[in-house]
Amino acid sequence: MRKNSITKYIITSLCIFLISLSLFVFSSGLLKNFFGDPNKYINSHFSAEDIRFFILNVLLIFILLLISWIIYLLLSVEYRAASIAGEETESITISLTQFTKLYEESPVPYVILDEAGNINDPNKATLRFFEASREEIEGQNLFYFCSKEDKEKSEKLFEYYKSDMPINKEELQFNTKKENQKFALVSVFLTKGFGPSNKGLATIFDITERKKLDKAKTEFLSLASHQLRTPTATIKWYADMLLSGSLGEFNEKQKDYINTIQKVNQNMIEITNTLLNISKIEVGSIKPEKKLVNVKELTESIFTELNPQISEKNLNIKKQYNDKLKNVEIDPKFLKIVIHNLISNAVKYTPEGGTISVKFEDSSQGRMIIVSDTGIGIPKAEQDKVFSKLFRAENARNVGTSQSSGLGLYLVKSLIENMGGNIEFSSIENQGSTFIIRL
Amino acid sequence: MNQERQKTVLIIDDDSNLRKVLVDKLSLSGFKVVGAGDGEEGLNKALEIHPDIILLDILMPKMDGWAVLGSLRSDEWGKNAKIIMLTAVEDAKAVAKAVEDGSFSYIIKTENSMNEMIEKIEDVLGSN
Repeated sequence: MRKNSITKYIITSLCIFLISLSLFVFSSGLLKNFFGDPNKYINSHFSAEDIRFFILNVLLIFILLLISWIIYLLLSVEYRAASIAGEETESITISLTQFTKLYEESPVPYVILDEAGNINDPNKATLRFFEASREEIEGQNLFYFCSKEDKEKSEKLFEYYKSDMPINKEELQFNTKKENQKFALVSVFLTKGFGPSNKGLATIFDITERKKLDKAKTEFLSLASHQLRTPTATIKWYADMLLSGSLGEFNEKQKDYINTIQKVNQNMIEITNTLLNISKIEVGSIKPEKKLVNVKELTESIFTELNPQISEKNLNIKKQYNDKLKNVEIDPKFLKIVIHNLISNAVKYTPEGGTISVKFEDSSQGRMIIVSDTGIGIPKAEQDKVFSKLFRAENARNVGTSQSSGLGLYLVKSLIENMGGNIEFSSIENQGSTFIIRL
Repeated sequence: MNQERQKTVLIIDDDSNLRKVLVDKLSLSGFKVVGAGDGEEGLNKALEIHPDIILLDILMPKMDGWAVLGSLRSDEWGKNAKIIMLTAVEDAKAVAKAVEDGSFSYIIKTENSMNEMIEKIEDVLGSN
């Protein structure tokens, strides 16, 4: 296109040159009257008429040159404008080609949705995702494409779409034309640039592989922890038998050893329980079952269970119960795991003679269970990772190394969020930590 | 217990180590103990010897605990048999069934101690 415009300039310039030349030839014909007679040069006899004629001719040439100059200017402006427009058209064409290529060849499935949520212009990745031909999915409602399992959610998202609300990375399950189940994170951007009846651009980010891996991991976790439970139960009952004395008495050293076996085995049971609970939550196979729970009684039972460790470390326990927390509608199993984890962490990480406080509050800020300790605390640099899987603070690694899986707080947070609550904490290294659960 | 007729306990569990320690403990506690290594064998023994109480594992080869329970409940003698399910994990189904069926309880292997198990057996035996 640029070459083309240069040619136009050259042609224009040539035209102007030719016009100017013809004007010159024409005007020189007129001047011949004046310059034609050589005697006039020699004798220098110019009449007044000659001079007028001369001036008139010069003026005429000047005017004609001016006109041709204006024509040149006008032509060049027009050509320049045409050339810019041409360049723009060219760049738009390039962008369109690039966009079309990107849209069509993108590994991410894209579809344009009309006002009714029907699919227009699915790209190749969309066809691959739905394992369908263009004709099979074009015109179908994207939200009705979801599988039965996500029917409720997809209907809700469709309502959002109809009320002009954007959708951001919502996980949905789809059934493909070949009856395969696929998972995707669906986002819909509302836009007016895709034609009169089109309303949004949807991206369907395929996460099926990720979900499969997650499922395999969770199933493995579940199977492994399930399989570990039978041998741990066997060890527990054999140690029970030995400690009961029904098979004869042991000396103190032997008893101490059997106790250690029992204690370590108990840790293993707790870790497998935690793993099993995590896998259940991740797979969604356990949902909170609300019952009326006396939170005070539940907490007291946990203190009874942990009493041997509390006595061993000579810890002070401060309790501040609120009667309103006697009857709370909540899942008792979930809540027990949560409170048990927080108190046992406090016991584990508080040095001898320290203090652990449990406080129940029921105020305008909601119902709260606050567990605080005067323990080793969590270093500031590591506080943002507290609720992540397998987290163990640097200073905690030196304390009770065999007693922690690093999964407890991850499980606590998952359970609380599953019950619709939240958890936060504050901690100062070497001074202690406070965990606040809002139910 | 010793003055009364010696009660028979049938243990149906595929884990031989676990069966062994249960047989020892229950024998020491004064019960007559019979063991079975899978569901099918257990069901046959139960219908043959009519034990006073059955300790029944859930996850087993051939026939699982729920299938054995179902077969027992459809038998004239078995419909009233006293049964305790042995579970590795707290099982919602076991809890729910135990509540609706008075002659039925459950023991979580990793959580209940042997003494708690004996208490549960005596509780179920004492109930009518």
